[in-house]
Amino acid sequence: MSLKKQDEMDHNAWLKTQDLTAIETVFLTTLIWLDKRLRIVDYLELLETMYYRANLQMPKSHTEQYDLDNKFWYWYPLYSLGSLSIIAYLVAAVTGALLGFYYAPSTAGAAAQGDPTAAYDSLVAIMTDVQFGFMLRSIHRWSAQFMVAAVFLHMLRVYFTGSYKEPREVNWVLGIVLIGLTLLFGFSGYVLPWKQLSFWAAQIGVEMALATPLVGEWAAQLLFGGFTLGQATLVRMYILHVFVLPFVVTGLIALHVGIVWVQGIAEPH
Amino acid sequence: MTDDTTPMTDGGTDEQARTDGGPPATVPPDDETPTWSERKEHTQGLAQLTYQYFERSRREDEDLRTESTYVERDVLGFPTWPHETLRNLAITSFFVGMIILVSAILPPHFGDPANPGSTPAIILPDWYLYWSFGLLKLDPLNPDLAVLGGNIVMSNELLGIVAHGIIFGVITLVPFLNKGSARRPVEQPFWAAVGAAGVTLSFTLAALAIQNFFPFQLELIVSLTFLLPVVAGVLTYAVLKTMREGYMYDLNRRYYMLRPPK
Ligand code: HEM
Repeated sequence: MSLKKQDEMDHNAWLKTQDLTAIETVFLTTLIWLDKRLRIVDYLELLETMYYRANLQMPKSHTEQYDLDNKFWYWYPLYSLGSLSIIAYLVAAVTGALLGFYYAPSTAGAAAQGDPTAAYDSLVAIMTDVQFGFMLRSIHRWSAQFMVAAVFLHMLRVYFTGSYKEPREVNWVLGIVLIGLTLLFGFSGYVLPWKQLSFWAAQIGVEMALATPLVGEWAAQLLFGGFTLGQATLVRMYILHVFVLPFVVTGLIALHVGIVWVQGIAEPH
Repeated sequence: MTDDTTPMTDGGTDEQARTDGGPPATVPPDDETPTWSERKEHTQGLAQLTYQYFERSRREDEDLRTESTYVERDVLGFPTWPHETLRNLAITSFFVGMIILVSAILPPHFGDPANPGSTPAIILPDWYLYWSFGLLKLDPLNPDLAVLGGNIVMSNELLGIVAHGIIFGVITLVPFLNKGSARRPVEQPFWAAVGAAGVTLSFTLAALAIQNFFPFQLELIVSLTFLLPVVAGVLTYAVLKTMREGYMYDLNRRYYMLRPPK
């Protein structure tokens, strides 16, 4: 049977039979126009479902919903620390991408020992020449500090509420990997300005790597590009900070939160 | 009504003119979908074991749901959406504001350019690595660890690295050592005490990293580094044990209130 155009499908004719105000007519015409092209009715339906879910459940507090009555758990706000880590991470990612436009990972330009290098100069330029550059760097630094603090406190919250117990051991171990990578993020970022403390912090890093038996020299080569610090070190720290770690950490956070989503959050009872 | 086989005015039928392949030859009725146990019978080896386990786990889930009489203990997890997510978004957006405010008020410091030729008097990482830096300054302990005729067993740097390994290792082991359903610190004073000792240790190690700022002897600082966490642990244990008495009293109040008033 071939489809014939039927009256029901003539939306414009239907519009004419309705007694509508101007606003209603414009609204419906736009809606029909958009729906014919983008099938938005389906998506509106999804939105509507979400709206009702949120609105039907929001006014009920968690304690009411689960009949926990008088057992208000005053650690409740501390359960946001995981999300705070993510948000601070996102802020750092955005500001970091903007800083990356102006930063140069290069030790060139120092005529004598202790002269400013290209990397150092690019940071000075960010702070003095770039519009809002100082603020950008400030936000990047502070969001990183907030993230690390939030991750530490999040770990303590998980510990003291016993949330790491079965079936959440995997997430605990994943969390330890994440906190290690977060610290590495901070460390590699600390080296990038190539100021005195950057250099000597990296120096301690190399010495620690070299003191490790078996894998030490290999690790020093891989992470620091050799046993003495120089251009290779800076570039490796840069690639670690802006390429490797962002991908790895973002992926692991997604996995971590995905597992939380599947398992539900372990509220204390 | 016409159906697909009715001749149209040109002599052909809709059936002949069809270009979409026609309706599916067979529609499997719902009850033809094999059940778990049927699938289990058709399979063998590991696949069969998997189905057997799935069936058990399903049954357990169902039993728990139908037989549960109280909400409290047996709820393993609460939904992430919307409760957790919405509260978290509210609180964290406040903190994004705080990040921007603090950034505006306290811009970061910027030091001198790197100079490989002159070691600064004080080398420090950011605050969150102080504890790690403290672990590298445990060398006063190293001679005490000697076993082979007074020779130190490992270099000072290696001692620091081994200490890192021990700390990460112990933290990783926590879920495999502490099991059970207890959640609140009062329910498990011992593990809360371990946690308090750990937190204190991270602070004392940080203090060890900036030892030059303290006007004591180094030996005293090193001793305090390990003594204070123990003190904190003991205190926490004592406080929680005491709190637990009150907690249990509340739980048992019905027992105490049994005798009717005169
Ligand atoms: C980059 C660092 C991290 C991020 C972004 C992160 C994020 C999150 C988020 C959003 C949650 C949901 C519950 C909540 O917000 O509290 C969560 C739960 C959890 N996290 Fe993390 N986390 C991080 C690091 C860690 C660390 C260091 C640990 C522990 C060693 C850890 C262990 C856990 C566990 C066991 C849960 C489940 C807790 C529950 O169900 O109540 N996470 N994480």
